[in-house]
Amino acid sequence: MKRSLRYGALVAIAALLLVALTATVVLTQDQPTILLGSALSLSGSKVREGTLYKQAYDFTVDYINSHGGVKVGDTVYNLAIKYYDDESSPTKSATLVEKLITQDKVNFLLGPYSSGITIPDSAIAEKYQIPMIEGGGASETIFSRGFKYIFGTLAPAGGYFEPVFQLITDPKMAATFKPLPSKVALLYADDKFDTSVAEGTRKLVKEKYTQFKLVVDKKYPSATTDFTTLLTEVKAAAPDIVLLAGHAEESLAFVQQAKELDVNAKVMVLTVGPPVHDFRDALGADANFIYGVPSWAASLNFTDTVLYGTTQNFVQLFEKKYNYEPDYHNASGAADVIVYKEAIEAAGSLDPKAVRDAIAKIDILTEYGPVKFKENGQIDRGSILIQIQNGRVYVIYPSEEPNPFYPMPTWSERSER
Amino acid sequence: MFTLQIAINGILLGGLYALMALGMSLIWGVMNIINIAHGAFIMLGAYVTFFLFRYLGLDPFLSIPLSMLVLFIFGFLLQRYLINWVVQATMFITLLLAFGIDILLTNGARIAFSANFYRVNPSYGGARLDLGSLTIPEVRLAAFLVALLIALLLFLLLKRTKLGRAIRATAQDLTAARLTGVKVAHIYALTFGIGVALAGAAGSLWSVLFGVHPAMGGPLTLKSFVVVIIGGLGSTTGPIVGGLILGLAEVFSSAWLGDTWKNVISFGLLVLILVIRPQGILGGTK
Repeated sequence: MKRSLRYGALVAIAALLLVALTATVVLTQDQPTILLGSALSLSGSKVREGTLYKQAYDFTVDYINSHGGVKVGDTVYNLAIKYYDDESSPTKSATLVEKLITQDKVNFLLGPYSSGITIPDSAIAEKYQIPMIEGGGASETIFSRGFKYIFGTLAPAGGYFEPVFQLITDPKMAATFKPLPSKVALLYADDKFDTSVAEGTRKLVKEKYTQFKLVVDKKYPSATTDFTTLLTEVKAAAPDIVLLAGHAEESLAFVQQAKELDVNAKVMVLTVGPPVHDFRDALGADANFIYGVPSWAASLNFTDTVLYGTTQNFVQLFEKKYNYEPDYHNASGAADVIVYKEAIEAAGSLDPKAVRDAIAKIDILTEYGPVKFKENGQIDRGSILIQIQNGRVYVIYPSEEPNPFYPMPTWSERSER
Repeated sequence: MFTLQIAINGILLGGLYALMALGMSLIWGVMNIINIAHGAFIMLGAYVTFFLFRYLGLDPFLSIPLSMLVLFIFGFLLQRYLINWVVQATMFITLLLAFGIDILLTNGARIAFSANFYRVNPSYGGARLDLGSLTIPEVRLAAFLVALLIALLLFLLLKRTKLGRAIRATAQDLTAARLTGVKVAHIYALTFGIGVALAGAAGSLWSVLFGVHPAMGGPLTLKSFVVVIIGGLGSTTGPIVGGLILGLAEVFSSAWLGDTWKNVISFGLLVLILVIRPQGILGGTK
């Protein structure tokens, strides 16, 4: 009697489990989902920027899901993202991307942050022929390997400083920039992105903008906190323009120490910092008159875009959710997700190769601006010159009526204000 | 004049490095613990000063005693109730524990305070002394003087007070110290507390000069380590000499060879000292 009771109980439990299992299977099948995957810097030295991308990706995925999803033929799909934390390490990131592809079976990949991490990650994407769209790596090295499955939405690094030269040599601005500020000091960190910026800038000065001359051309170790020696050298060379290619923390230290050592320039441009709100907060009034060269600015307003309507709509909705004004990292990340939606719908399928071809042919207007990729996968766009005036960011170039504040007042003059 | 400016930069920087290393040197010398979480404590001191500045408007220099106090209590409790378990174990185990504490504190700070980097910028922030063609940032000069003052106070504590004698006795010979009535466990906790408080003071100064963020500790642990090795264990003036040497080495290698050589030269110096004179320039017989 006992044995058959126990046996009966086991059968009942097994039956219940089976029912429960099929029930969950049935439930999940109600939501056809396209799975995107991303290994992002959610800890480690790049966590701040990594978080910007995660928020942008999540925000855009939610918006797409609640505004009609992605239509492939007759089926409406939702988007979902699987994240892994690469701890800001390139080797770890590459391993995680492989895991996303082979174990988690993601359909497509979203990029990590920073050129240094994008390079190995994109090699994995290429190996498995899964498209990756990234918005956080601008170095041309990413796109110079003949890969077909990597696309990037940040303007190429080498041209980052070009709008500075364009502005100064624009015939419209001749009266403002007289005499021509021709002595340039170029300082850059020794990572992939910044060395690309420096190489490109050197080339621009040598071949295209020959009125300018590099009087200082110095590399420094990444994550330097102490610029006193470099600044002493810069002061001795008395340049008109100072170009700094470095990351946010370095930019902060640089400006602060330039003030301490009374190092002045008529034009000071930083690759990272000025567009970002906590850079401006940290420096306060010292941030004024500094230029930045992001790929996008929140004050732009592209209208009739494919997803958010207008850029300002995106900016307002984003700010409402996250309590800060989005910067170009956020906008670039959002654009990456939008490109997937458009490309998948254009291809009419989830086949990686078909979607890849659709991405390569894409030509759309997003809240981030026009998105069209060159043959090598990098976006066909340049950076924008912005300047901080009265604590706010203004687009200076390209613009109908550029309104730079020139020259930058010296530190002594500023303390008298 | 250029050279003199560079030299001044180096000395001012060196003073700060010396203060950073004092705490590590004390803990290492007395307890034989290489505190590789040292940088994390510097980071915590920096955050204390930052929050006091931001929410109470307290001048960063005035906040130094407070950050030292907070860090002292924290370090004392940490040693008494956690590190004490492994003080008699092999060095590997103590390193492992310190490493774990470092990861815990760094990531805890990241979660609690976010990864944003903050600056403490008092109104006198960019003030300078202009002596002819030399520029001396006032805040750096003040930080240098404060560092020297704290080093002097530590020196007086160790040489002139009963507690100091007890600490030195514990460092010299554990058994003999016990025999003369020194409560070793208590001394260990106090020493660790003091060492960590010194890190806190360095952090407070660092926050004004270079800003605060959770990952700032790592490189600073490394720098402190180099300073301690160069200057030598077992003396209070060792870290000062080591700090000045490192400061000058960094600025001159940057000026003469280029900034990317800075780390090569600094660590090259470390290797050189370890080969030629492993006990450091002023080191004792450890």
